[in-house]
Amino acid sequence: MTRNRILFGIGVLAFVSVIVTVRLGGFLVDNEYRQPDRQVAAQEELGEAELVPRQQGIADEQAADEAEARARPYEEAEYRTVPFVGSRVTVWVLAQLHLLFAAFVLAVPLFAFIIEFVGYVKKEERYNKLAYEFTKLLSVSFSMTATFGAFLTFALIILYPKFTNYLMHIFSPTFLPYVLLFFLEALFLYSYYYGWGKFGPRMHLFLGFMLNIVGTAIMFIANAWLTFMMSPGKRDDIDGDGVPDFVSAVSESGALLSLRDAFFNFTWMPINIHRIIANVAFGGSIAAAYAAFRYLQAKSDEERAHFDWMGYVGNFVAIIAFLPLPFAGYYLAAEIYAFSQTLGIQMMGGTFSWLFVLQAALIGNLFLGANYYLWLGMGRMEGGVHFQKFIKWLLIAIALCFAVWATPRYAISSVSEIAAMGGSSHPQLSYLGQMSAKNTAVNILILSTYMSFLLYRRTGRQSIHPHRQLLTRAQAIVFSSAAALVIFYGVYGYFVDSATRIRFAIPQVYSVLAALVVITVIDLPLYRNAAQSGETKWGRIPAVSQYALIFIALSFTWLMGLMGYVRSGLRQEWHVYGVILDTSPDAYTPSLGFATQVVSVTVLIFFGLIGVVFWLSSLSGKKDYAPGAAAEDGGRLEGGQAA
Amino acid sequence: MKLSVPMPLRLVLLVLGTTAFYMYLGQIVPQKESHPPPPVLINAEMTTEDLVTVGAELASGKGQCLVGCHTVGQSGPLRYPDLDGIGGRAATQVDGLSDLEYLAQSLYEPAVFIVPGFADGMQAINQPPINLSDDEIKAVIAWLQSLGGTPNVTLDTDLGY
Repeated sequence: MTRNRILFGIGVLAFVSVIVTVRLGGFLVDNEYRQPDRQVAAQEELGEAELVPRQQGIADEQAADEAEARARPYEEAEYRTVPFVGSRVTVWVLAQLHLLFAAFVLAVPLFAFIIEFVGYVKKEERYNKLAYEFTKLLSVSFSMTATFGAFLTFALIILYPKFTNYLMHIFSPTFLPYVLLFFLEALFLYSYYYGWGKFGPRMHLFLGFMLNIVGTAIMFIANAWLTFMMSPGKRDDIDGDGVPDFVSAVSESGALLSLRDAFFNFTWMPINIHRIIANVAFGGSIAAAYAAFRYLQAKSDEERAHFDWMGYVGNFVAIIAFLPLPFAGYYLAAEIYAFSQTLGIQMMGGTFSWLFVLQAALIGNLFLGANYYLWLGMGRMEGGVHFQKFIKWLLIAIALCFAVWATPRYAISSVSEIAAMGGSSHPQLSYLGQMSAKNTAVNILILSTYMSFLLYRRTGRQSIHPHRQLLTRAQAIVFSSAAALVIFYGVYGYFVDSATRIRFAIPQVYSVLAALVVITVIDLPLYRNAAQSGETKWGRIPAVSQYALIFIALSFTWLMGLMGYVRSGLRQEWHVYGVILDTSPDAYTPSLGFATQVVSVTVLIFFGLIGVVFWLSSLSGKKDYAPGAAAEDGGRLEGGQAA
Repeated sequence: MKLSVPMPLRLVLLVLGTTAFYMYLGQIVPQKESHPPPPVLINAEMTTEDLVTVGAELASGKGQCLVGCHTVGQSGPLRYPDLDGIGGRAATQVDGLSDLEYLAQSLYEPAVFIVPGFADGMQAINQPPINLSDDEIKAVIAWLQSLGGTPNVTLDTDLGY
């Protein structure tokens, strides 16, 4: 009761303060100093409507303003500015926040649906509960996505009116389907969430399936708008000479020639693929961070076990999606090169080349964090000591790959260091800065992480398959062959020309992908119905592992922000690459240092907001407010896990 | 006495510390703002020598020839042919083409002849996004001719495109 009285008192005080302030302001204006001979009373005595100087001045200013406004012809603004922050940074931050929430909202239904489906097939209720726990995060996040989407749209209309008008001119036929799909998304999302346990399992799965279909369709439409800005056309061999020609979707002046070519433009599908995979990885990591947050708050072993499992599944989703992500990124980069060598060279060898050293640091940290979490997780299983001896070797391999990937070709050096090295690149280490070394490092990183996962999967389990020795050896041969092939192409790449060297990435990627698939296919029957040497103790993991999950989510978010900068910044001074020039004061590419500051601010805002989402989602598990119970503990709302 | 940091504070420190670390990494790498190339003015009175100067500016600016694609005076593994001496060898690259015709073809239709050992990839520079005008291309040709040869192109030269 005391708390309620205090709140009421604060409210009354605030209301009284507003009234007093308004009254005081009015009093001061009414009682301003006036010269005696200019008093209103004196005017009345004179019988003339003579104005005091201040009133006359205000009237003159208003008249002048009105005259100026009438004389000024209407001109459509091309750009408008935002004080202090600037138009570009405003749109940049809003777009990134919208994208982060949208990625989360698109990803969570995808793996919630899969988990629910697994629970339905296996007839295990715990999967159903886990899927529901993930889905709890969607409702508020969906509102955040819509809010930032609206905010971004208004910002574009206000700050870049001419360019936004141009995009509307090109893509207006896609807007109505987009809005209708958005309605359907809301319908399916809320019926999926609120209908949990209210519909039959098949009907509910159908809702989840439709939610994913509609969500993906929405993303595909939005991707057309942004990829058009980077590649406003397609490549097609129109003259039959075997060389793809550029077919622009718009004329040189920007007039639309083909909506189909504008929509299905050159980088549209690579971005679609890259985003689906990246969204799942990002969504998994954020969901795992939520589980970590709840684990750290947990009061009972039961809660800890539940949220430990949830964190594990979220991280598993994130890492499984993350493993093929470099390949999707490679495909996207190759397509950008194929569309425009200039864009590709700007990305990898020009203005943005140093950004990829930062990207290496981020991805290296992600791999380290993910492996560390898996290694700590081995402690959940009894009999897990057996595999822990391999961890130090995996750590060495991962650390070496991380170091190679983060080694720049050209070092940041002082004059004396440059003189000592005989140039801006180190005589030996610069070899590690080349593409051959980096492709090799990332592929070995992926293989090492997959090995960590395999070890984790086998901890506390003993295969009872009749051909277990043969199959295990086959896995070892596949793994070693893939690693050897990757290293072979990495070394051989130094002895061939650049065009051949770039093509070596393809067999490296395929050998690793093939190894992942083949080893998994062998592993499934090998460990089916495996003998358990002990029980999995969910919740028995050091608390530091939960901070590792949050660190992974942070690194993912930061990585998305950084890559958003390069994808958009690649266009440089173009709104639409090669067609519509940016003539605003922001028509330049900011430095990497500035970009990382903007990304950092965006990440902090996002984590502040996602913290609110976590808190609101966790309220659904609290006990209902009961006046009697509140009085007993001094009016404080007491939390607790619902029965 | 063991100091215990409350969990919310730990989370805040983790978020701030990680973000600050990544931002710091962004500050220690080389910083460069990339501005749009300044406009290059060509007028009818320009001589061949003037065009060479303008062509050099265009090559490293609006024309983007030297922005990661071509080099001048480098050896070893190259992305695209090194341009050192191109003015001298242009006349012997393709049978039947003079140096002027060869250079013009390389710029307007770069896919027609690919220097052996290199891959196709250059875009026509009279088209977006580079979009050089015919006079600007003549200036680039004058600069290319000056690399090991004798420039003779003028603004009145007909390139056939």
